[in-house]
Amino acid sequence: MPILSSWFSEFGKTFYKCFIKDNRYNMLLDGIGVTIKVSLLAVLIGIIIGLLIALCNLSKNKILKTIGKVYTDVIRGTPSVTQLMIIYFVVFASVNWPKWTIAAIAFGINSGAYVSEIIRAGILSIDKGQTEAGRSLGLSSFQTMSRIVVPQAVKNIFPALCNEFIVLIKETAIVGYVGLVDIQKAGDFIKSVTYEAFMPLIGTAIIYFVIIKFLTILLSRIEKALRKSDVR
Amino acid sequence: MIKIKNLHKKFGDLEVLSGIDEHISQGEVVVVIGPSGSGKSTFLRCLNLLETPTSGEIYIDDELINAPKVDVNKIREKMGMVFQHFNLFPHLTIMENITLAPVLLKKCSKADAQEKGKELLKKVGLLDKADAYPAQLSGGQKQRVAIARALAMEPEIMLFDEPTSALDPEMVGEVLDVMKELAKSGMTMVVVTHEMGFAREVGTRILFMDDGIIAESGTPDEVFSSPKNDRTKAFLSKVL
Repeated sequence: MPILSSWFSEFGKTFYKCFIKDNRYNMLLDGIGVTIKVSLLAVLIGIIIGLLIALCNLSKNKILKTIGKVYTDVIRGTPSVTQLMIIYFVVFASVNWPKWTIAAIAFGINSGAYVSEIIRAGILSIDKGQTEAGRSLGLSSFQTMSRIVVPQAVKNIFPALCNEFIVLIKETAIVGYVGLVDIQKAGDFIKSVTYEAFMPLIGTAIIYFVIIKFLTILLSRIEKALRKSDVR
Repeated sequence: MIKIKNLHKKFGDLEVLSGIDEHISQGEVVVVIGPSGSGKSTFLRCLNLLETPTSGEIYIDDELINAPKVDVNKIREKMGMVFQHFNLFPHLTIMENITLAPVLLKKCSKADAQEKGKELLKKVGLLDKADAYPAQLSGGQKQRVAIARALAMEPEIMLFDEPTSALDPEMVGEVLDVMKELAKSGMTMVVVTHEMGFAREVGTRILFMDDGIIAESGTPDEVFSSPKNDRTKAFLSKVL
């Protein structure tokens, strides 16, 4: 038993050194705030851009179609770290906005390309008869889209969208590259001042895991509510 | 009421309708029969412009509807359509299916639409299903709701595209009964169907289509008892 108790006391000491001493937990708490802020705004921007690009890709207009295709190609064809750095150090170099909003814009632009493909697939998954039924009643194509096709598509693509959001949250772990201190960067910082690797890195992983687990539970509740018309 | 002049429809190189001239008057129940691929459904879908005619003219109440500047949505409000696969909106309740279009197009208030919806559901015998979702209904019930949904817009003309073809045999009767009632009430109807019994009993006129043209037209008695066209004879000998 002495081995176990000495391990525990060792663990306690390291824990104290990494998270309690010099109020280091504050750095992690701030990091959680940054990660959540960036993720939420990025998801919002991602949905708006995704919807617009999806409509471009589905439209019959050649110019819009080309815009949509080029956008998707460029975003999917380059690493998100590169995109983040270009947007931060080049595009928004002379703009004096808070750092986190610019990072969120970068992640939103990135996510938009993936969301657009999910939305496009969702709209295409709805039977043509639904559109015809809407139009035959005298609804305009916009009314048919917004009241009949999109609500059904949302239900179908909800799991895929949730997946994209989870990927996005984890993707924000690279914001350290532009000088923001998120969860990952905070953990990294603690690692470098304490010379401890295990505790801060595992701590970082656990924080991400808990946030995403919480989100997953919330989203599956929403999905259940969306499926209420499936009852037989 | 409906005048069709030299209607053509091509899908690529395939000519599905090759020159249709027809006149449908108010209160007529016109039943379109014919072999598969003869262009019956395409003809019907051209009437409310779900298919755009390649050439020719369609007049509804003396208004040319396939002109470039026409408000297609206004035209469609005058014409209800019932589809082979019902196409109810699965994310809405039965009542919402019926009231969606009238409320959205500002024909009436939500309360009035629901009142009217109840009346229509009573008419098709499904008042107790108002709060159910389409997935909870049988095929025959779905099609009766689809008819009620189309009627909620108070159309002048009802188009039926093989309304009983996707139904189990025991459910065909309940849908045909609703259609018979509708015909009795004086509704102008164009029905594409394989139900020869219904055509004979309810139709005021039969159109036999083959190869993209109307090969024969006449009262049910004329067409069923003494068909003149050889192709009509061949078709009827197979289905009767």
